[in-house]
Amino acid sequence: MHISDGVLPVSVTIGGYVVSGMLVAWSARKSASRELPKLAVMTAAFFVASLIHIPLGPTSVHLLIPGLTGAILGPSAFLSIALGLLLQSLLFQFGGLTALGANALMMGLPALVCGWLFQKFKGRSGVRPAVIGGLIGSLGTTMAAIMLSLLLMSGGEDFLGVAKMALAAHLPVIIIEGVVSAFTIGFLIRVKPELLQPFSINSSDSAHE
Amino acid sequence: MRGIKQLILTGLTLGVLVLITPSAWAEEPSAESDCKAIITLLNEQNSKFSGDTRRIQREIAALRADLDKPGFKDVVAGIGYILGLFGVAAFVAARRKG
Repeated sequence: MHISDGVLPVSVTIGGYVVSGMLVAWSARKSASRELPKLAVMTAAFFVASLIHIPLGPTSVHLLIPGLTGAILGPSAFLSIALGLLLQSLLFQFGGLTALGANALMMGLPALVCGWLFQKFKGRSGVRPAVIGGLIGSLGTTMAAIMLSLLLMSGGEDFLGVAKMALAAHLPVIIIEGVVSAFTIGFLIRVKPELLQPFSINSSDSAHE
Repeated sequence: MRGIKQLILTGLTLGVLVLITPSAWAEEPSAESDCKAIITLLNEQNSKFSGDTRRIQREIAALRADLDKPGFKDVVAGIGYILGLFGVAAFVAARRKG
C-alpha cells in the first residue's frame, strides 16, 4: 500500500508534505531522548516489516504494521513511520518520493490514532492488552486502506470503489497483522510491560531533531 | 592447333554435360525428398530455438523482477541509516542535556 509518483494531484502532494512535515516536527518534540533506542528499533522493525511477504494465491501481500508501531511508540510513531517510509522509498522504490508526504499521512495518522486508542483501552494485565493489541493492529491497516482511498479520491478516483478494492486486497494483511500484533503485545506485556507505558514528557527532556 | 584445342575442349564439355545430365535427371526425385527432409529439420530446429528464446525471455523477465526487489544490502543499509540517524539524535540530545 504505497502511492506512486504522479498519481496524486500537485496540491494534495504539497499539502501532504506540509501536514506530514508539521506532524513530524510535533512527533519529534513529543519524543523523549531516553525513548530514542526504542524509537530506533521500532523504526527499523517498521522498515523491514514491509519485506515480509506472505504468498497468497497468485499474488503476495506484505506486512505494514502501522497499528503495532503506533501502539508501541505513541506520539513518536509518526516520526518513526515518516523516516521508515523515506528509506523504503529511497532504497526499495516503494512509493514515489514526491508522494512521500501523502504516504506518511496514510500510514502515520492511523498509527497515531491506534497509539491513542491502545493507551486508552489496553487495561492493566491478563489477556486484555493482547486482545486490544490485536484489534489495534487490524484497525491500523484498515484505516490505512481507508486513508489510501481518501487520498486517491483526490486524484479523481471513486472513493467507494477504491475503498472496497483496497480493503478486499488487504483483508489477509489485516487479519495477519491482528494476529502478529496480538502476539507481540501479549509478549511485551509479560516480558517488558514498561515498553508499553505512555511516556510522560517534560519539555526539557525532549529530543529535537 | 588452336582449332584442334577448341574442338577437344568443346568435346570434353559436351561429354561432361552428356555424362552429367542423365545423372541429374535421375537424381531429381531424391533431391526433392532431400529438400523435404531439410525443411522438416529446419522446422524442428526453428521450433526448438523459438522455445529456447521464449524460455530465455522468461528468465530475463524474472531476473528483472528480481532486480527490482530490494536485496539484503538494501535492508542492511536501511537499518544502518535508521540506527545512525537515531544515534545522532541521541548524541545531540545528550549534548544538549549535558
